[in-house]
Amino acid sequence: MEIVLKHLTKVFPGNPKKNIRDTTAVDNLNIKIKDGSLVGLLGPSGCGKSTTLYMIAGLKQPTDGEIWFGDEDVTNLAPEKRGIGLVFQNYALYPHMTVYDNVKFPLTNLNVVKNKTIQKVVDNNLIINLLENNLDEILNLIKSSLFKGKYSKSASARRIVFKYHVVTSLAEKIFKFGLQYSENPKELASSIVNKLKDENSQILDKFDKKGVRYNKKFEILDETGNPVKEKRHLTADEIDALVQETSRLVQINDYLERKPAELSGGQQQRVAIARALVKKPRVLLLDEPLSNLDARLRLQTREEIKRIQLNTGITTIFVTHDQEEAMSICDDIVVMSLGKEMQRNHPQEVYNNPNCLFVAKFLGTPPINVFPAHVEGTELFVGQDKLLANKALSGKKEVIVGIRPEGFIYNPKGEMEFDIKSIITQGRDMTILASHTSNPENQIKMIIDSSIQIPNGKVRFSIKSTKLFVFDKETEERIYLD
Amino acid sequence: MESKNNWKAWLYLAPVIILLAVFTFFPIINTFYVSFLKNYDYMRGTSDGFTFDNYLLVLTPVLKSGPGTMFEEVMMTALPNTMLITIITVPLSIIISLLIAIGLNSIKALKKVFQTIFFLPYVTNAIAVGMVFSVIFDANTGIFNAIFNTPLHTWIAPAFGVQGSTVNYWSALFALSFYIIWHSLPYKILIFLGGLQNIDKQYYEAAQIDAAPKWKTTLKVTVPLLSPQILYTLITSFIGAFKEYNSVIGLFGSEGGKFDKTTGPSSMKTMVYFIYEQIGKNQVQYACAAAVFLFLIIMVFTVIQFRVSKKRVHY
Ligand SMILES: Nc1ncnc2c1ncn2[C@@H]1O[C@H](COP(=O)(O)OP(=O)(O)OP(=O)(O)O)[C@@H](O)[C@H]1O
Ligand SMILES: [Mg+2]
Repeated sequence: MEIVLKHLTKVFPGNPKKNIRDTTAVDNLNIKIKDGSLVGLLGPSGCGKSTTLYMIAGLKQPTDGEIWFGDEDVTNLAPEKRGIGLVFQNYALYPHMTVYDNVKFPLTNLNVVKNKTIQKVVDNNLIINLLENNLDEILNLIKSSLFKGKYSKSASARRIVFKYHVVTSLAEKIFKFGLQYSENPKELASSIVNKLKDENSQILDKFDKKGVRYNKKFEILDETGNPVKEKRHLTADEIDALVQETSRLVQINDYLERKPAELSGGQQQRVAIARALVKKPRVLLLDEPLSNLDARLRLQTREEIKRIQLNTGITTIFVTHDQEEAMSICDDIVVMSLGKEMQRNHPQEVYNNPNCLFVAKFLGTPPINVFPAHVEGTELFVGQDKLLANKALSGKKEVIVGIRPEGFIYNPKGEMEFDIKSIITQGRDMTILASHTSNPENQIKMIIDSSIQIPNGKVRFSIKSTKLFVFDKETEERIYLD
Repeated sequence: MESKNNWKAWLYLAPVIILLAVFTFFPIINTFYVSFLKNYDYMRGTSDGFTFDNYLLVLTPVLKSGPGTMFEEVMMTALPNTMLITIITVPLSIIISLLIAIGLNSIKALKKVFQTIFFLPYVTNAIAVGMVFSVIFDANTGIFNAIFNTPLHTWIAPAFGVQGSTVNYWSALFALSFYIIWHSLPYKILIFLGGLQNIDKQYYEAAQIDAAPKWKTTLKVTVPLLSPQILYTLITSFIGAFKEYNSVIGLFGSEGGKFDKTTGPSSMKTMVYFIYEQIGKNQVQYACAAAVFLFLIIMVFTVIQFRVSKKRVHY
């Protein structure tokens, strides 16, 4: 589903009596999100990311502008009709329900149109198939559920469900056959199979007598030979199948019977994603889903989100204020500031080519080094050091130069001289803390290969031209060099 | 905490413990004690020794049976009345106050005004309100009969100027329940509103995204999240209903009403009513026996409620 935001604006009205001014949380946002892509909304706290997301979800009404899903204008559509899945900033899992019930909840409200099927026969065939082909493994699964001298129905069912992707009620039925107690399970299984086959032919006989036609999948057909459709709620078995499928996808099978409070942050998050995904939404919205996790888990879960998104191909919007997170998993990022879009592109492209000082500063760790500079004619100076000459520069004016930490090359003949303060070696790289005479207060961070020997004191460096950006001092817009 | 410093904690608790001991624990124990005394004289504190007769007289027809005995007053009138009042008013008042609280919580305009209006009954005296209700339910001039077009239907007392007019027990019970529920709503609404305001709005947003209809959100999200408050009001209103007394006096006067015997108990006297009556008749030992009996009933009910709720209440 392609999502298009047109002139999207949200103003929170102030209160003149209490002297609170209007807040423009989102200001004239125009974004097109490609079908099936993962887009990151990135910006500092309070820049309107959540507000944008909630407007897309329909929980907040835009002050102005339009939201389109594909060729449908959803601006005034109620949230429940938009077919979205939303993962809240703090998950908002229902604390009184088990994980299973949490994931199940959206499904109990769905109406679906499905082919009318002779379900009993389909189920019987599934059981017959399992008993004929996988009897030994099933027996092993059930027997491994032995606990305190008893076979556990729920544990057996869980294992069978996990292994054979069947619904829980069917797995429980197999348990209830009592194969695990039998002296001769093979014989018992074949007699059960025969009984089920009998039952099937009886059921089908009845349909035949009534003159009802059906196809190989046991879907009932109308006069023209097309499957008969019916509009209805999902059955308990269908719900169970979807819950099992989704929990397998996000790997929460083992916690289905627990309450959210009994889960770790990362597990809760996956439950929240499962709840958002289970109804197969057109769009998945994630509001800073990783902000509560520790560093390791954050790394792991963001990879998982990427994996799930790739597997499902759902158009996903991912809000974060952590640039590294956005850079690592998003197909596209939108950098926002004060409700406005600053730049939108592939993460690497935004990093390599920031179009303004804000974006340059916001992306990258450690952050970009900023120097006050001036232009004289076509030449660019930082303090006394002449950095470069370029035809795009002219006149005499103050500018700002940004240099990425990795943009410095140790070179005794380099164009800039720094005063080295300290050197921190971290494995492959080292971080150099230094200062420049143009502004001695300003701490400069450089990252260079740790195999290079750097003397102490005043050292000269040359600058990689692709890591150097010039910005207008007034507008903070990028001045592109030729 | 260090066990050496325990005396400090006890010191701080001492005033409360002493007050409780004097005004709660001692009376409870003394009630038990007196309930086993024969011919207890509360002025002199004398008695003729121990006996089980008080219980046998109050709770069983073994020693005395027939109309007008204490056994009939308790087992045929006071206990059924108390039970019926409890069974009718507790669930109804909780459901109604829950609905009103949910309604109040979802409106924005005039919320404070409505909260005040709904709280007014709580700060008015029960007996005074009871008298107002007895006017409302008056057979001849009551507004209730006027509104529902049931002229001369008797709710509380026989109609004036109508020969042979009697009061049906169930009509009286209806009027009493109506009054008790009305009077108990504000406190519960207040409790529920407090609980509702503590429920994170995001649960409702999540439910809305999940396309849950309103009734389902209420049933599956609001009620479970409000279950601690519901349990609290359930238990306190159970206990309150078992101790109902003021409302009977207020509505039916100091005789407790006089109803058509063929339709049910002849009066609306409750257990506590009976207890007070015995004290008035200088028969403290019977009052104590009935009080112990009531205490046990309430205890059993409360324990059952805690047991049942353990699984259903989510803290
Ligand atoms: N209900 C509201 N009433 C008034 N102002 C609001 C309201 N909700 C948000 N705002 C304001 O709108 C702006 C954007 O808020 P928003 O929640 O979208 O920020 P955010 O980018 O999600 O920040 P964070 O990263 O901290 O979650 C903020 O300045 C905030 O104060
Ligand atoms: Mg936010």
